[in-house]
Amino acid sequence: MKRMIIGEHIVKSFGEGDEKHHVLDGVSLEIREGEFVAVMGPSGSGKSTLMFALSGTDRINEGKVVFEGRNLAEASENELSDLRRTQMGFVFQQPTMLKNLNILDNIILPSMRDHRKKRVEIVEKARALMKRVGIAGLEQRDITQVSGGQLQRAGICRALMNSPRVIFGDEPTGALNSISAQEIMELLGEINADGTAVMLVTHDAMVAARTERILFMRDGKIASELKLPRYRGADLDERIEKVNEKMREIGV
Amino acid sequence: MYSRIIRNDISKSKLITLTTAIFVAAAAMLVSLAAILIVNLSGALDTLMTQAQTPHFMQMHSGDVDTERLTTFAEQNSNVDQFQVLEFLNMDGSQIRLGAHSLVNSVQDNGFSTQSEKFDYLLDLDGQIIDISDGELYVPINYLKDQTVGVGDKAVIGGKEFTVTGFLRDSQMNSMLSSSKRFLISKNDYDEIKNLGSVEYLIEFRLKDLSALGAFETAYAAAGLEANGPTITYPLFKMINALSDGIMIAVILLVSALVVAIAFLCIRFTLLAKIEDDYREIGVMKALGLRVSDIRKLYLAKYAAIAAVGSILGFALSFLFKGKLLENIRLYMGESENASFATALGVIGVLLVFLAILAYVNGVLRRFRTISAAEAVRFGISRDKSTGAKRFCLHRNRLLNTNVFLGIKDVLARKRLYATMLVVLVFSVFIMIVPQNLHNTIASSSFIQYMGIGSYDLRLDIQQTDHLSEKAAEIVRVMSTDPAITQYAALTTKTFKIKTEKGTEENIKVELGDHSVFPIEYSKGRVPVAEDEIALSVLNADELGKKVGDAIILVIKGQETQFTVSGIYSDITNGGKTAKAIFKDDAADVMWYVICVELVNAAHIDETIAKYADSYAYAKVSGIDEFVAQTFGSTISSVRQASHVSIAVALIIAVLVTLLFMKMLIAKDRYSIAVMKALGHTDSDITVQYISRSVFILIAGIVLGTLLANTLGERLAGAMISSFGASTFHFAVNPLSAYLLNPLLMIGSVLIATILGSLGAGRIQISDNIKE
Ligand SMILES: Nc1ncnc2c1ncn2[C@@H]1O[C@H](COP(=O)(O)OP(=O)(O)OP(=O)(O)O)[C@@H](O)[C@H]1O
Ligand SMILES: [Mg+2]
Repeated sequence: MKRMIIGEHIVKSFGEGDEKHHVLDGVSLEIREGEFVAVMGPSGSGKSTLMFALSGTDRINEGKVVFEGRNLAEASENELSDLRRTQMGFVFQQPTMLKNLNILDNIILPSMRDHRKKRVEIVEKARALMKRVGIAGLEQRDITQVSGGQLQRAGICRALMNSPRVIFGDEPTGALNSISAQEIMELLGEINADGTAVMLVTHDAMVAARTERILFMRDGKIASELKLPRYRGADLDERIEKVNEKMREIGV
Repeated sequence: MYSRIIRNDISKSKLITLTTAIFVAAAAMLVSLAAILIVNLSGALDTLMTQAQTPHFMQMHSGDVDTERLTTFAEQNSNVDQFQVLEFLNMDGSQIRLGAHSLVNSVQDNGFSTQSEKFDYLLDLDGQIIDISDGELYVPINYLKDQTVGVGDKAVIGGKEFTVTGFLRDSQMNSMLSSSKRFLISKNDYDEIKNLGSVEYLIEFRLKDLSALGAFETAYAAAGLEANGPTITYPLFKMINALSDGIMIAVILLVSALVVAIAFLCIRFTLLAKIEDDYREIGVMKALGLRVSDIRKLYLAKYAAIAAVGSILGFALSFLFKGKLLENIRLYMGESENASFATALGVIGVLLVFLAILAYVNGVLRRFRTISAAEAVRFGISRDKSTGAKRFCLHRNRLLNTNVFLGIKDVLARKRLYATMLVVLVFSVFIMIVPQNLHNTIASSSFIQYMGIGSYDLRLDIQQTDHLSEKAAEIVRVMSTDPAITQYAALTTKTFKIKTEKGTEENIKVELGDHSVFPIEYSKGRVPVAEDEIALSVLNADELGKKVGDAIILVIKGQETQFTVSGIYSDITNGGKTAKAIFKDDAADVMWYVICVELVNAAHIDETIAKYADSYAYAKVSGIDEFVAQTFGSTISSVRQASHVSIAVALIIAVLVTLLFMKMLIAKDRYSIAVMKALGHTDSDITVQYISRSVFILIAGIVLGTLLANTLGERLAGAMISSFGASTFHFAVNPLSAYLLNPLLMIGSVLIATILGSLGAGRIQISDNIKE
């Protein structure tokens, strides 16, 4: 498979002088087209920071990130915005919807800028996605009038609106109970099966076990990596055991 | 989708939206009003002066007139279009009774004229040239304004009875600033009462080309023609006519500039707070790949909606109020012909306000660029980088009550937020004080010193009579022994020829005598003290191109004599072109005498006026207060009105903004208030904290505002006053109201607003805001 995102020796640091510390300390990695990747590691190890770096949300201090052949360091703010909007999708841990918009409006918000598409088509697509993730009928609700799981599904719809090449998820199931979490992972698996790459940050071995590659981070570095065969709905417990074993092995 | 965002947002912040809309509406209204007034004033003035065919050059003259010589001059001067000599029958006020009122106390030179035949027409209230019959009397418009008399009333002039048939507009003498007023009667009636007064001549010219006025003035002076009286030209007529309403417009413009600024501050303040609230949402939108310009549009849309509604409302309001403000212009000058243009300009003004607001909001929203998406998504709040109050610590505090301490600490820690409120309060104090000081200043008796009149109690004017000098000498002799009089100065006005740069000669009126007895304000230099010194009025100095220290040459007794310009002063008397010197001269004709008098006890002024008026019927005796009241009365009263309105406006602004500010603070501080309550602080503790914040800012605001009013405000007011012709200017401050009453009013209103605004703190529930 083709390489989609290449990170080379990424360094991200905060603070000045004595207080300066490297949150990402020379991380190199690749994400291939259609890949399903998880990032695990202790709190503060730099997982979120890595994701912001790969998606061009935050600028890095050293090294480079190349997305589909483009060096993100050379792109302007607007170009980065356009890239994120059209090529990437984001799902965050906490509900990140606008308070003043209902569910449907929140979902179509990032698509409204692209004038090539007709408004009706956009709305049609949003309704179709909502149906697919199982929240049809909630279009006109306020974001405070739905459950956390429903809100997260709406977030996934929003991420899928522009048919992205990759979806980034920072603890997308972190705020959900385990049944909702499983359903969301089911959904992300389906999306990945359709050819969209997915990169997740998670603490949960059960979530990681559904992916095909797991990166373990520690102190701003990738400490280890675990490859699994593609998940096809069986042997989940076995996979979870493998992940746990690896975690014990490297001591996280 | 935009409309939904706007609607939801507005319904969640009604007070803020409303306040912002009110300020925008007020700003739009004022700008629109100013535009409408300016166009109407200039339009109506043009119409009046066109219909009346105001002379381009007028020489008043008392004494004999050589009509033949004048006619020859007019015919030979290629620039003259039309020429005429009108008579103005000057009559003592005591001879004129209008209805129930006698004009005996009028400081105006009231006189009678017949309708002129060629130009300089007297117009009725429809702008038509009045056609008058015997027994009818048309009365100057100002006597309608002050309701001295009505149509149909009887008038008695020198024993002859007239019926007041109507009121007239006089394009020359309409304004109270011009000292003469013309009544219109028929030719027959005029001949009948002619011997009851003294005739003054108005020698009037209309030119083919107004731009040649300067050359014509020089030619007139050089020809040595009649010149015993003031000379007034077209631009000066225009200026005098426009002045009182012009000042009103200037005040409106000043206030609208401030209101626009306050609208901006309000917007800035609410917007900054909103951005802080929405910090996380903005970050998320950025992370999702919305461009900064797109996110900005979401916010801009709301303000565009508010600004649009406010502007339309303001424009509508300006239509409601314009009638009232146009009243005076309509009365004195009639309708303007370009009313639709006025509306168009009003629309443009409002549009400008609207666009300015959009541009401003856009500017404030540029802050979005600095919001880091990663941080916003991660932390959800902006981390305030303010460090100012770090040393101001609770454990080191010994002086202040803890609540007061916390209040002040908060102000120091969030300077940027509180700075907005401070600026609004400074503006309010400024708006409150400046018009009031302006009113105090022009109402004070010393103000006339800026106008070219010294500070004395009463004046005797002697003119248009034979043996002027002997009569004046007689009065002076009596005065020198009058125990009621502390000091007096007799000033003689004479005309001399002056050599201009180009070598031509012009007439200049020079007031001779001791000018140091009742000094006036000099904008530059000082009073003339040596025989070879001369002071010039601003208009004369400008026209002659002279500065203090320059030399000028007068022709005295046929001899060229050199003088040094010792000072320049403002003057509105006698057409504004005067000069002052102290040399003795007995050759040139005396034009008029003015004797200025200061009394031992100013309270007895009426008796003194009566005594001298009775003994010397040929002299016009007037008290200076009366003179000021009648000359500047309408201006003073409109400035007083304006100052009252400003106080109200300032208080409303202060109260609204404080209320708004407190509500927003409470909403923002929900969490910390809940924490404090959980720790056992009572509601009144919290109220005290908020009051301390207000009072702290308020005191700073009052001090700064007062300082600013007395420096910048004085300059601004000075610039306005200089349109009168006065250039140096200092506020006469009434300390009681400016330094005590106004601050107290302000403090009272702001405190009430603070208490009302912080009531919301009591409703904050601990459990809603602290979740474990
Ligand atoms: N803006 C910042 N300024 C200073 N330090 C920061 C900033 N952002 C992140 N850090 C630090 O960088 C380190 C890595 O943060 P990051 O959010 O990437 O960790 P994480 O692996 O995602 O942790 P978690 O599992 O708790 O989400 C942390 O020690 C954090 O304190
Ligand atoms: Mg994280």
